[in-house]
Amino acid sequence: MSLLQIFDPTAKPTPIGIDLGTTNSLVAWVADGRPQTVLDCDNDPLLPSVVSYLSDGRVIVGTAAREMAVLHPRETIVSVKRFMGRGGDDPETRRLGPYDFVMPATGESNVVRFGVHGRVVTPVEVSAEILKALRQRAEDKLQTVGPAVITVPAYFDDAQRQATKDAARLAGIEVLRLLNEPTAAALAYGLDKGKTRGTFAVYDLGGGTFDITILTLDDGVFQVQSTGGDSQLGGDDMDRAIAEVALREMGLGTVAKDASRVAPELVRAVLTAARATKHALTNADDAEMVVDRSGAAFRRRFTRAEFDALVRPVIERTGTACRRALRDASIDAAALDGVVLVGGATRVPLVQSFVREVFGREGLTDIDPDQVVAMGAAVQADILAGTQQNDAIVFDVIPLSLGIETMGGIVEKILPRNTAIPAARAQRFTTYADKQTGFELHVVQGERELADDNRSLARFTLRGIPPLPAGGAKLEVTFRVDADGLLTVTAREETTGIEQSTEVKPSYGLTDDDVERMLMDSFEHAEGDIFERQLVERIVEGQSLLSATRAAMAADAALLDEDERAEADGAIAALAAAIAARQSDMIKLRIEGLDRATTPLAERRMDRAIADAMRGRNVDDVAEQVREFQGVDAHTEAHAQARAGEH
Amino acid sequence: MTSDPFETLGFPRRFRIDAANLAQRHRDLSRALHPDRFVQAAPAERRVAIEKAAAVNDAFRRLRDPQMRAAALLAFAGRPVREDARAAPELLTEVLDLRERLEEAKSQKDDTRRITLRDSVATRIAQSERVIADAFETDVAPTGDTLDRAYEALVTLKYLYRFLEEADAVDD
Repeated sequence: MSLLQIFDPTAKPTPIGIDLGTTNSLVAWVADGRPQTVLDCDNDPLLPSVVSYLSDGRVIVGTAAREMAVLHPRETIVSVKRFMGRGGDDPETRRLGPYDFVMPATGESNVVRFGVHGRVVTPVEVSAEILKALRQRAEDKLQTVGPAVITVPAYFDDAQRQATKDAARLAGIEVLRLLNEPTAAALAYGLDKGKTRGTFAVYDLGGGTFDITILTLDDGVFQVQSTGGDSQLGGDDMDRAIAEVALREMGLGTVAKDASRVAPELVRAVLTAARATKHALTNADDAEMVVDRSGAAFRRRFTRAEFDALVRPVIERTGTACRRALRDASIDAAALDGVVLVGGATRVPLVQSFVREVFGREGLTDIDPDQVVAMGAAVQADILAGTQQNDAIVFDVIPLSLGIETMGGIVEKILPRNTAIPAARAQRFTTYADKQTGFELHVVQGERELADDNRSLARFTLRGIPPLPAGGAKLEVTFRVDADGLLTVTAREETTGIEQSTEVKPSYGLTDDDVERMLMDSFEHAEGDIFERQLVERIVEGQSLLSATRAAMAADAALLDEDERAEADGAIAALAAAIAARQSDMIKLRIEGLDRATTPLAERRMDRAIADAMRGRNVDDVAEQVREFQGVDAHTEAHAQARAGEH
Repeated sequence: MTSDPFETLGFPRRFRIDAANLAQRHRDLSRALHPDRFVQAAPAERRVAIEKAAAVNDAFRRLRDPQMRAAALLAFAGRPVREDARAAPELLTEVLDLRERLEEAKSQKDDTRRITLRDSVATRIAQSERVIADAFETDVAPTGDTLDRAYEALVTLKYLYRFLEEADAVDD
């Protein structure tokens, strides 16, 4: 335990873990092999996920913002996570809440928009404010902050994940990985208890989302067997149940379901009081709910029994997901070695007894359910940034099936839920009209039969198909899901062998242009224009690639033949020259060229790693060698050089 | 994209496979290729790693499931199973009859009967799998009658496994 933190300018930036929660957010890092959360000046690790927009343009995040919620309900966004990746007319926007929703104009991306003091902000921008505040907190503590692992609910769909990545981008945070929250919790527990073996269920009930994940831990490998949940179910729904009773008794019952007809101040006041009542009932058998109204206060006593009856339907919805997850994992509750409880809402006594009912055992709460996710994220960040010797590895799955809409609006599932990631699968299509040169694919996510009942992800338009008779073109469309759980689609036309361009229009998300525009608007990048920023980004990318390639060549140039080596050397020199000349477009071109030239080397190194793994050799040695050269050094050096070139 | 799952995971083209070995091999290969190991590496390596990691996952999925494993073996032997492969009339009749009895047992909430039916089908499944296992015992692919019998056995499995799913789906 260090008493004094001396700033070491040569120290590598510390990788961090971020829990971007519905109710509270946290940031953590690993010191001396142990994860710890960053505390604020009141020694509180929690940053309330509340963002308040002031009339003078300032933005406040955290406890201070939460205090403004009742007086400025429309401009104080609480639980923004519930709106991430959602469209402007999503049912969530019609649940009890005080916001001023702005519908997208024609041509605008279909995302939720909040009207605040004449401005319009999207959930991505609001979340970015929270992330910025967390980064600041981390910087205050750690001086230099490195890349981050950010957690997302396991049940978050593609749009919600992409929104999270967009928010990080706006906040200027480099994302190493999006990590599923239950898996993060398992990481924190697994390492806390030493290398244990077993099968665990993680029951994660937060403010707005519920996740149930079944995973096995064996020899440092965390393998998710199945995952399920509900990304619109959480503690907030318990608050609403109480709030609705209060509103009814205030004589506003008929309008309780349509929040727009109740004064936003009152709605926020009632929700806040409801939450306080819920907390009070954790340890007491009854509690008084007090809502301050101008003039008389509304008071109402709630007993634990009454509270339980009100929230039981909310909690029971978690049961279905739990049973299905167990079935998907082909495991009985009795065969589990433990159930880990994550998320503040698991403190509610009824939740704990429900867990006992469903799983036949007490849930584990050794690690603070509010902090465990951030700590797990920090552990993963530490591993991925290469500063750790720990070889714990995480194998996760897709939470929801991915498919395409076919004739008659039926979904054809391409990647079923609980498929291990990374995953890739190809599907063949052909044209249905003569000389058809374009093809549209509608990708949906979910388990229902009809495309309309599932979540629309995006429309992919394939262009450049050679004009052939109907049925003549052979299109192979490949769905790939990466380790972040994000989908990319590529297409090839087999008769010509040409890779088709796929234009993606996300159904509920921001386009790259939207994010670029937001970056321009934000204060972070007021200095320098978009081209300057792009140049710096490209230089960093180029330097990083050069270091990695030089190291790989130093180790394994023998794997290439003479011609290939010459080509690689040429590409290296060309990129170095472009960087020295600071020519943005040339750098981009040379990066692509070097990438192509090094592919054979990458393939052969990989083949060797595979051959070693087959032989049962200690693969970690090979991986260590590979990692040694490509560690954080290359990255920080690249950044430093790029900046140096700037000034 | 369709590669040889046996080659990808380094197993001989046989039906009998040790589940623990298979899982271990999947784990070993996944560790070597997992994107987590290549976060800081050059894009070319990241790409190759993720492609191969996905291929390893896919191969595991196909070898782990007896039906898919059998389908792969038959495809390599030159008798791919068609999507619309239909069973012999006797099998169809048998399955229809089993279904009726299952419906009865379910509507009467007779769990004992349901389990008895289920277990009898499980036995039939084991028999069919034995036929396939014997056909694909060596590295020499089966031909003629042996191959035909293996093909029939797989078609039978398709119906029997589906029945098993129905028999096991109790609530939800």
